[in-house]
Amino acid sequence: MGIAGTADERQHTHAPSRADVLGGIELPDQDGIRHRLADYWQAAPAVLVWLRHYG
Amino acid sequence: VQLHREREAFEKEGAGLVLIAQATPRHAAHFRRRLGIDLPVLADEKRASYEAAGAKIATLNELLGPKVVAKGFVTALRSRQPQGRTIGHPAQLGGAMIIRPDGSVAWSHMSEDVSDNARPADILAALREV
Repeated sequence: MGIAGTADERQHTHAPSRADVLGGIELPDQDGIRHRLADYWQAAPAVLVWLRHYG
Repeated sequence: VQLHREREAFEKEGAGLVLIAQATPRHAAHFRRRLGIDLPVLADEKRASYEAAGAKIATLNELLGPKVVAKGFVTALRSRQPQGRTIGHPAQLGGAMIIRPDGSVAWSHMSEDVSDNARPADILAALREV
C-alpha cells in the first residue's frame, strides 16, 4: 500500500456481469434505514453510482 | 450534483437512481444537506459494495498525476462545487452501473482514475438501450 492508501501497482476494474453479490448487500441510508440493494432493481432498472469519497 | 440535476430524465426513463458513498449515515445526511440533493444516499463505510462492483484502488499517479489533476480541475469548475474535506478511503475509486430487474448488469463504467467519471448523459444514453 502506497501513500494515502494508494495501490502500489495499477489495478483493473472488474465489474460483474450479474449483480447477484451486490444484490445481497444491505446498506443504511442517510436516515440509518437499511436497504437490500436488490430491492432497487426488483421492479425496474436501477442506476447505482459509487461516489469516490465525501468532500 | 450533476446527477441530481438530471434526476427527472432518469425518472422519465423509469429507472431508480441511488448514490452509494463511503462513510456513515450521518455523513450521508450531511452530504445531502450540503449539496442540496434529495437523491437517496447509501452509506457503505466498509466499502463492501465497491468491492462487489469491481471498483479499484488508485495508484498515486491515478490519484495525483498531472493529467488527472488537470482534468479534475476542469470538472470541478464545470460542476461549480469546491472540494471539501475528504472522508473515506482517498484512493478508492467509484463508478456507475445499470442493473436490470433480472439482476444482469446492462452497462457499467468503473473509474480508471480519479478524473474518469461517467457523465450523466452517457448513463442516460445507456439506460435508453436497456
